Amino acid sequence: MKKYWLVFKLTLQDYFVYRLNFILWRFRSFIFFLTLVFFWQAIYTSKETLFGYNQSQMLAYVIGVAFLRGVVLSSRSFDDLPGAIVQSHLSQWLIKPIDVFRYFFSRDLAAKALDIIFVVFEIFLLVKLLGLDFYVPHQLSAYLLFFLVVALSVLLYFLIGTLSSCLAFWIEEVWAPRWLFGIVFLEFMAGVYFPLDVLPKVLTNIFSLTPFPYLIYFPLKIWNQTVGLGESFKIMGILSFWIVLIWYLRNKVWQRGLKRYAAAGN
Amino acid sequence: MAGIAAQSQLITTKGGFLFLIGKIIRFFFFFIFLFSVLSGVGSLAGYSKEQVILFYLVFNIVDIIIQFLFRGVYIFRFSVVSGNYDLDLLKPLPSFFRPLFGWTDILDLITLLPLLIFTIWYIFTHQLLASSLSFALFLLLLINSTLVGFAFHLLVCSVCVLTTKIDHLVWIYRDLTGMARFPTDIYGKGVRIALTFVVPVIVLITVPAKALLGLLNPMAIIFSLLVGILASYFSLKFWFFSLKKYTSASS
Repeated sequence: MKKYWLVFKLTLQDYFVYRLNFILWRFRSFIFFLTLVFFWQAIYTSKETLFGYNQSQMLAYVIGVAFLRGVVLSSRSFDDLPGAIVQSHLSQWLIKPIDVFRYFFSRDLAAKALDIIFVVFEIFLLVKLLGLDFYVPHQLSAYLLFFLVVALSVLLYFLIGTLSSCLAFWIEEVWAPRWLFGIVFLEFMAGVYFPLDVLPKVLTNIFSLTPFPYLIYFPLKIWNQTVGLGESFKIMGILSFWIVLIWYLRNKVWQRGLKRYAAAGN
Repeated sequence: MAGIAAQSQLITTKGGFLFLIGKIIRFFFFFIFLFSVLSGVGSLAGYSKEQVILFYLVFNIVDIIIQFLFRGVYIFRFSVVSGNYDLDLLKPLPSFFRPLFGWTDILDLITLLPLLIFTIWYIFTHQLLASSLSFALFLLLLINSTLVGFAFHLLVCSVCVLTTKIDHLVWIYRDLTGMARFPTDIYGKGVRIALTFVVPVIVLITVPAKALLGLLNPMAIIFSLLVGILASYFSLKFWFFSLKKYTSASS
């Protein structure tokens, strides 16, 4: 455990070396957040309720997306692991007495820790500046369920990230599938841009069959209390099913990938 | 040079194909989202559903044209840090030619043509064109947008020469232009001022879209053209200033 704690601390130090990069990255996230806030505020000037959300619930959704992008979707493994495989840098971790996945998960946690600090500050700033009135649950159980689901979502995202990184064992142009699945599909289907209820019912149902909505959309439904207790446990059950399935697949694909790995150039 | 870039992109067919699919899917996801939301509310910031979708289509057209032309910026940093840019400076071409136009993106062009056809069909089906003069004005302001895009990308190249940092600056530009997916009237006054004077996203996207709809007054047109000309002029000035500081450190 001690060595992964060290990785965590080293990753944090790494961020502090490239401070400008980090600040600019946060600024980009802030622009995204700002755009959504203004968009939904403009939408709700003529309607009180839309797609089952009132304005404060929709603002809670947008703020929740900003928060969960930092907590769930910020990751170093998604960015670094495919490149390490293609460029054969993976060898440096394979020969060390560490577990590659735990190493990358520690790095992910460091990225998330720093993102959380900044994102909370950004949310506070925007809420104060624009006087945003967003929905806050009244029962303690909603908070407990929300944070439990978010913890599972973090794990699911890590597993999806490492599974998709395994593609790099077979494809050199790993940026393309990463962009298609990791950004286009994942962000839309997870509900990063909008709650999925906004879409036609048939699309929402199709997206719900994938693991992606369990990263953002469903946790925020629990926060907004638009699902009951039974439904929340069902969400957690499905989330756990995806975690087990993708964990199994990831390990299988990883083992096969390692057999192909030639460590070219090393 | 564009031909060589296109050949290189088409060799990597798997990557290019997935990239193309991703672009199309992203376009349709946003389109469906806007269509669904606006079907529920009817209008946004005083614009009808059809008009808001037209803003989105114009955003995509401008974005793709600029990406298609100025994609070279994304690989310019490598030229600078590797010292390869020295070789470009020896060639009988304007010094900014390769940094900007060095990687013309054929994949963007492939998506542009169907988008243009769809937009024209959309405009005529929903009778959004105010007059033939509006169309002429739109074309003029589209050229002006390209000029603003040129100015910004050249500015980024200049910063790259001075600092060898470039990536986040380009992406911030992309994020800011992304704000004009929707009519920029939805933003607060402070944000609108920033989007006019700091990074002129409004001139880049909103103004041409409004020209099509016949919603521009003569002052806005003159102002936009002035922004385009001045931005290009100062950007070129800054470029030549940065070139004087170019140390060719890696070679």
